[in-house]
Amino acid sequence: MKKNKRSYRIVVRIEISTLINRDGRINRKKMDKLAMVLSNLNNSGKEIMVVSSGAIVLGSEKLKHSSVPGSKIDMQVLAAVGQAELIRSYQHFFDEYGQIVAQVLVTSDIVEYPSRVENARNTFDMLLSMNIIPIINENDPISTTDIELDDNYPLALKVANIAKADLIIIKSEINGNYTVVQGNGNKIITVDNEMRLQETIEELNDLAQAGRSASDVIFPSSLEKMGLR
Amino acid sequence: MKFRKVLLNKKRVVIKIGTSTLSYENGRINFQRIEKLADVLSALRRKGLEVVLVTSGAIGVGAARIGMTQRPKELNRKQALAAIGQAELMKMYQKFFDENNQLVAQVLLTKDVVEIPQRNQNAKRTLTRLMEMGIIPIVNENDTIATYEIEFGDNDTLSAIVAALVEADMLIILSDIDGLYSADPRIETSAEIIHSVFKITPELEQLASGTGSSFSTGGMVTKIAAAKICQQAGLDCIITNGSEPSVIFDVLEGKKIGTHFVGGHQTIVNNI
Repeated sequence: MKKNKRSYRIVVRIEISTLINRDGRINRKKMDKLAMVLSNLNNSGKEIMVVSSGAIVLGSEKLKHSSVPGSKIDMQVLAAVGQAELIRSYQHFFDEYGQIVAQVLVTSDIVEYPSRVENARNTFDMLLSMNIIPIINENDPISTTDIELDDNYPLALKVANIAKADLIIIKSEINGNYTVVQGNGNKIITVDNEMRLQETIEELNDLAQAGRSASDVIFPSSLEKMGLR
Repeated sequence: MKFRKVLLNKKRVVIKIGTSTLSYENGRINFQRIEKLADVLSALRRKGLEVVLVTSGAIGVGAARIGMTQRPKELNRKQALAAIGQAELMKMYQKFFDENNQLVAQVLLTKDVVEIPQRNQNAKRTLTRLMEMGIIPIVNENDTIATYEIEFGDNDTLSAIVAALVEADMLIILSDIDGLYSADPRIETSAEIIHSVFKITPELEQLASGTGSSFSTGGMVTKIAAAKICQQAGLDCIITNGSEPSVIFDVLEGKKIGTHFVGGHQTIVNNI
């Protein structure tokens, strides 16, 4: 199982709003597509980690709340119910592709505790070496800090930092596009479909294996889109 | 026997189930037992009791999920298996509780829940609100980021801490042993279950640690430690065999089952 080269390590940040219908239920087609793409990337030898929001939204749906409540305790209760639902959904869809997933819950202040960071890193390393995709979520039920509804980008950055990831992929909640970001937070490219995403990652992976960084590569169209040219 | 009467009117109960009760000796999951446990706990909810389930088993379930037959020794492997198994374990509980139309929630705790007052209040508030809403919180240690077996030590201790935290009336520890014996039952045929303990004395702890014998390997020491936390918090603790989960009903009916560590009666002379 030992790999010769360090595999390309990618954190995928998912906002649940990109995967649910207006009625608050999981969009099975979109979820299936995501599970397939990520399982496929994993099969191609990349190491995939998912940082997902959604516990509160799914908890709300499970409890038949018509809207997401505003008070912190209400959100913590919904998160406790919903995070069980969330991991169950991911398991269900990844199972279709024979992909095993794991659940890792961290509080946002994890970076203040060196031993927790080390434990989390060791766990990530071990899971990834076993070809398992960790699904990482904020441990909101016991969080003492403010709960940011569905804003898990800071968590994705922290996880990327802890796991020393090469890339972060962000699925846009507005148009479903994928933005590829370097581990340090610098944007590289935005693509609008899964096939292009896979190609981009392959290109970046090849570059990395050749010892070059993502900034060496030029993606004219995306740079224009981002207003950098 | 009269002290068992105090168990009749319990409102808030924490149930702890260990790996040995959730799985067969070969390490694989005993679905039927989990189903029965879910049935019993759901029935308690319908009767109006508030219930928290503290469960072990994530590592064992994780190992089974990836086809591993040996429980690993390395910390990082255990943590990885805990992350896989926690997801699987919750899926199983959700399925069996769903069949009873009983909502559950997942709460993973680390030791700082006890140590940091703000965390403590947060966890207490979330667990309490869940119970008030008729939801059963399913609690486990957050092994993945905790230094496993170092923070709480074991889930017996965790269950007692949770029981004290939510100000439960009692803790029921379901185990593969029938209770605390007066001697090693495998060696001395005259060994009997001690049905009531009013005070945990050094002698009793000695008995549980089974100096010179091996009957404590089932983990009686950590259970006594858990019972001690309960007694200090003034709540009752029962240690009993969980192979038949309906034993929970019997305990709550005051039947003389397992070992009852009587809470809130520390001044009464220990008459075992």
